[in-house]
Amino acid sequence: MSAPIIAFFNNKGGVGKTSLVYHLAWMYFDLGLRVLAADLDPQANLTSAFLDEDRLEQVWEEEQGFNTVFRCVRPLLRGIGDLANPELESIDDGLNLLIGDLQLSGFEDELSSQWPDCLDGKERAFRVISAFWRLLSKASASSKADIVLIDLGPNLGAINRAALISADYVVVPLSPDLFSLQGLKNLGPTLRRWREEWKERIPKNPAPDLMLPAGNMQPIGYVILQHGVRFDRPVKAFQRWVERIPNVYHSDVVYTENDNVIDLSKDSSRLALIKHYQSLMPMAQASRKPIFHLKPADGAIGAHVAAVQNVYWDFRELAQKIAIRVGVDIPSTERQK
Amino acid sequence: MDDQALSALLRDLESDRVERKASNSDGKKIRQAICAFANDLPNHKQPGVLFIGVNDDGTCANLRITDDLLLNLSSIRSEGKILPFPVLQVNKRVIDDCEMAVIIVEPSDAPPVRFDGRTYIRVGPRRAIATPEEERRLNEKRRARDLPFDLRPFVSATIKDLNLEGFQREYLASALAPDVLEENQRSIEQKLISLRFMTPEPSAYPTSLGILVAGKDPRQFVPGFYIQFVRFDGVDLTAPIRDQKDISGSLMDLLRYMDEVLQANISTATDIKTQSVEIQQPDYPITALQQLVRNAVMHRSYEETHAPVRVYWFQDRIEIQSPGGLFGQVNRRNFGQGVTDYRNPHLAEAMKNLGYVQRFGIGIPTAQKELKKNGNPPAEFIIEDSYILVMVRRKQ
Repeated sequence: MSAPIIAFFNNKGGVGKTSLVYHLAWMYFDLGLRVLAADLDPQANLTSAFLDEDRLEQVWEEEQGFNTVFRCVRPLLRGIGDLANPELESIDDGLNLLIGDLQLSGFEDELSSQWPDCLDGKERAFRVISAFWRLLSKASASSKADIVLIDLGPNLGAINRAALISADYVVVPLSPDLFSLQGLKNLGPTLRRWREEWKERIPKNPAPDLMLPAGNMQPIGYVILQHGVRFDRPVKAFQRWVERIPNVYHSDVVYTENDNVIDLSKDSSRLALIKHYQSLMPMAQASRKPIFHLKPADGAIGAHVAAVQNVYWDFRELAQKIAIRVGVDIPSTERQK
Repeated sequence: MDDQALSALLRDLESDRVERKASNSDGKKIRQAICAFANDLPNHKQPGVLFIGVNDDGTCANLRITDDLLLNLSSIRSEGKILPFPVLQVNKRVIDDCEMAVIIVEPSDAPPVRFDGRTYIRVGPRRAIATPEEERRLNEKRRARDLPFDLRPFVSATIKDLNLEGFQREYLASALAPDVLEENQRSIEQKLISLRFMTPEPSAYPTSLGILVAGKDPRQFVPGFYIQFVRFDGVDLTAPIRDQKDISGSLMDLLRYMDEVLQANISTATDIKTQSVEIQQPDYPITALQQLVRNAVMHRSYEETHAPVRVYWFQDRIEIQSPGGLFGQVNRRNFGQGVTDYRNPHLAEAMKNLGYVQRFGIGIPTAQKELKKNGNPPAEFIIEDSYILVMVRRKQ
């Protein structure tokens, strides 16, 4: 049983998706799992959340540097070979990062043009389209990961198509506003189309030795993030969007035939409503830690301490919910009763 | 332990002083095991042993024991995830023709020992997190022999001398894992005892650690526990004084206030002429100063002297003076080279818990690296028998 690959995806940017992936990666690590976080967003925000500028300079500037996600697929892009082996950055013992790369955007055109070629049964097309999945599988195996989290850019382009067919599951982070709601309306149908198109291509693979992803990308729910909420609008408006999310999600993403209005608090697809943590987020970014690791020395003093604890429990609950849905057991330390 | 004793333990599949791991891939389990051996709940008073490279049934796993692997295991002591510091030896051994890494863990003098804020114990074949009852037994095992200064009781002090509210609000949450905190149904006194802020019952006196970290007025008991900050308008002690502060209070207040003072005194020149982007150049890198001052607070002697830590800020340099000479296995030759020893190991633990220390043994190297990056000359250390002076020169 290889580790489940979970993509966090929304075609509307700025909802706090990367910070969600960053915090979940640390939380799963804290809960005792071996975690692989993969940055497949050409903006590489997840990478810059984990690594400081000095390290990034080393990794990106040195030509002989680390095999980032782009350097792994480069031989394939140039047509001089197949994937290079990923070199993972060890953030901690059991928390590894597949480093993102701004040059990854250079892979977009190739992925775009190879997609139709799969229908003609061309082997190279299948090698290119399955590159991300094969890369993730290698990285997951070499790091002995229990769970793989991927961060994606906010668009419906060819990079994300290839990344999403690699995913077993999809979590949709949302901010409660009109944009996210509109985004859901084209995210859902697009996911469905990609899934169908990939299933149609799989049997045309000419190379029996080339393993391909199944392309399940099963949506397991959404997470409402308040970070993106603009406070210049009345709270009531925000509440209104929150109430509308479940129905749109169910009709456009999961396609449940359901005319009943779903009560938000009872919606099983709602994985969490993550509050806006005001000043804790900048504090965490400055210290390069997840919020729930903040200490008095980082400025988490007085009232912040209780807030830090609350964030821990919020994320722990979310992490456990996702784990149940993707079939990952969280090791529990046995206690005597 | 000689090979014979180790070999006997290796074959003893029933012993609860032994753990076997086929590889070093599961770092967390290894750390939990070290923590449990250090706690020695069954009270064997003998070291526990981890064999890395051996299967559960005692057969050889044929693991290659590289220098990297040994280094990685040795670093467990100084990374500060297991607190207070475990006493352990890491060796490569060949027993019965099988190559393995052997970690020998001595029982701690001051349990409970925690890994990531949780007290791991071993009972028979089972590893678990200690219940309140088990923690109390661990407290009582604390040895009253030659304790380091920071665990000695102040017989003249009582629980009333501690700021309980600050302790509950800030220190507890930093020292214990959230889930442990959640089910913590213990009295405040029990919590203070289990974090070594007070001696075990029946006496229950505040320890030096308790007074320093959470005392209402630590200087009542430890007169030298403050930082004297003086800023001179010149290059020697006779220059006019521009600013002077005695920074005191509990460890949490002291370090926080010191950070603010350093921040306020650093001047950042902005250069807008040489390049199209403005470059900000502080005259001193804040991280380096923080490391050096925190080092002084952590390592200084509080017993032999009532002198404060002194931070003298001149126009061309800063001098940080730390009372008490080198300690333990640190000498003039290996000073600053990664060899560490702790006069106040539990104060070091508290600073780690509060986040003032990232990992142990890297304070001076980090300071030097930051100075270099900022364009300052390296820090100079003047080591005397009764004090250590660090000199940081201003950027030219």
